[in-house]
This record gives sequence, structure tokens and C-alpha cells, in this order.
Amino acid sequence: MYSNLIKTIILLCVSGSAMAHELTPTYPKLEPTYVKGVLSTKLIMWIARVDVEHYKIEVTNAVWNDVPFITDEKIVRLGYQERREIEIFLPEDTTAQYICTRSLLEKGKRSRSIISSKVCSKIK
Amino acid sequence: MLKIVVPMAASILATEALAQTEIVGNVESKCIIVSETPGVYGNPNPYQLTTNPTNGGVMPIIRYDVLAADYYKAVIEYPVSFSSSPTLDDVVTWSGDVNVSEVSDTLMSDYDTNKVEYDNAHEYEMTIAGSTWFKISSTADYGYAKSFPAGQYTAVVEAECIPI
Repeated sequence: MYSNLIKTIILLCVSGSAMAHELTPTYPKLEPTYVKGVLSTKLIMWIARVDVEHYKIEVTNAVWNDVPFITDEKIVRLGYQERREIEIFLPEDTTAQYICTRSLLEKGKRSRSIISSKVCSKIK
Repeated sequence: MLKIVVPMAASILATEALAQTEIVGNVESKCIIVSETPGVYGNPNPYQLTTNPTNGGVMPIIRYDVLAADYYKAVIEYPVSFSSSPTLDDVVTWSGDVNVSEVSDTLMSDYDTNKVEYDNAHEYEMTIAGSTWFKISSTADYGYAKSFPAGQYTAVVEAECIPI
């Protein structure tokens, strides 16, 4: 019995590290700001990827064309297991439908095949 | 006087400080993309790079964790170009595939049957909450059996999670 328990613990310890990318809430709401004609929403990014440090914020309409928006940093630097709140400002007549964060991969990395992740939220 | 002051002072000193700190958490629908295996190209022939394990390659594996059913679709694109490579003066022919390799719920077994394919993209509707592992295969052939120049080749798998 104990040998099975020890084997299970060892197996859990040597399991591959997970590298995760998350963006919440799934359906953010646009709310008015103190500036007339400007709406805003807040999202939280959480990153657990050791191979990526930079992420690009993209805001698109229903057919995936970029729409104008304002935020503090359009390219965000986030390290492993870091969380960041991002605020997006949009005009009242915006056609924005998706807010996405995409991982940016650096050239010259040793891995021959790399995974680029993009997680989106849909504006209600 | 001391008979009153001393007990009062003792009672003040004896009073314990009490503080409460809240821990707040939200459970909400979300999609998490986890890169479990980055993948490696094997080079079985001078003119071919492939992730096929029988040819020395390693297939990339991506896990999608979906906390609420019917909220998301997963779009995975296998590579159709190198993101970095030595200078190439001939055409590279790309092929690839995306398949479900493991699931946390047996009801997800229909994902491959119901997926939509277009160009190099495979689109899955995540109709069941839980974890799904996707395996990506990729092969690049250079010219007509022409040798790849020496150097480092990198290709990117795009994994997207989009709310429905």
C-alpha cells in the first residue's frame, strides 16, 4: 500500500510543468467613465508560462478586424505566475466584440516548435 | 486607588487583539490554455522536418481547461511557415493535423468528429467542462527532395480560446 502511495507521489512530482494563460471575465461589460463618450472595462490576466514574458492586447470586432482602443500598455510584460489588471477604454460607438491577449514569442529561442496562445473575452 | 487602577490596567493588557482578514475568490467561467509539451522537429531526411515520434520528433501537446460548458471554442492552427529559419530559396510544403489525444470526460470523445477544419485551422466547440489534450503534428518538406540548409528552424502552433 505504501509503495503505491510513494509511486503516486513521485509520479505527481515529476509530471510536466504546466504553462498556462488565462483571461477573465469571459464576458466583460462596458461601463461609462467620467469622460463623456468613453466606456471602459477591466480584465485580469494571469500567466503561468515560463517561456513567454510579453503579451499583446488586441481588441477586434465580430469579423476579427482591429478597432481603436486605449489602454496603459498594449504590450504587457508579465512573468511567471503574475497577475495583472488591464483596463480598456473604448468610444461609445465602438464595434468592439473581442478583447484578446496573445503571447509574443521571442526570436532566437532554443525550442524548435513553440506554442503561441491567445485567450479572448467577449464584450456583452 | 491602586485597588481600582491595577485591575483596570490588567484588564486592558489582557484584552486580546482581534483582526480578520478576508480571502476572496470568484468561481466563474474561464478558459485556460496550457502548453504541456512544446514539440520538437525530427530530421529523418535532409529534405524533411517532422514532429512524428517515429522520426525523432516530438508532437506539441496543448491542454484546454474549460470551467463551464458551451462557453468557448478552441481554435488550433498547425504551422504553415517557419517563424525563424536560415534563408530558403525554394518552396516548403507544409502538412499537419490536430487531434484530441486525451480527455477528462468521456463525453468529449465526439470532439474530433464534430470539429470544423479550414485551411490549417481546427475548430472545436468545447461543449463539456473539463480538460482536453490536443496533439499537433507538423511536417515540412523542402522543394523536391532538396536538403534543408543547416541551421535552426522554428515554427509556431497557434492556440486560441474564443468565447461563443
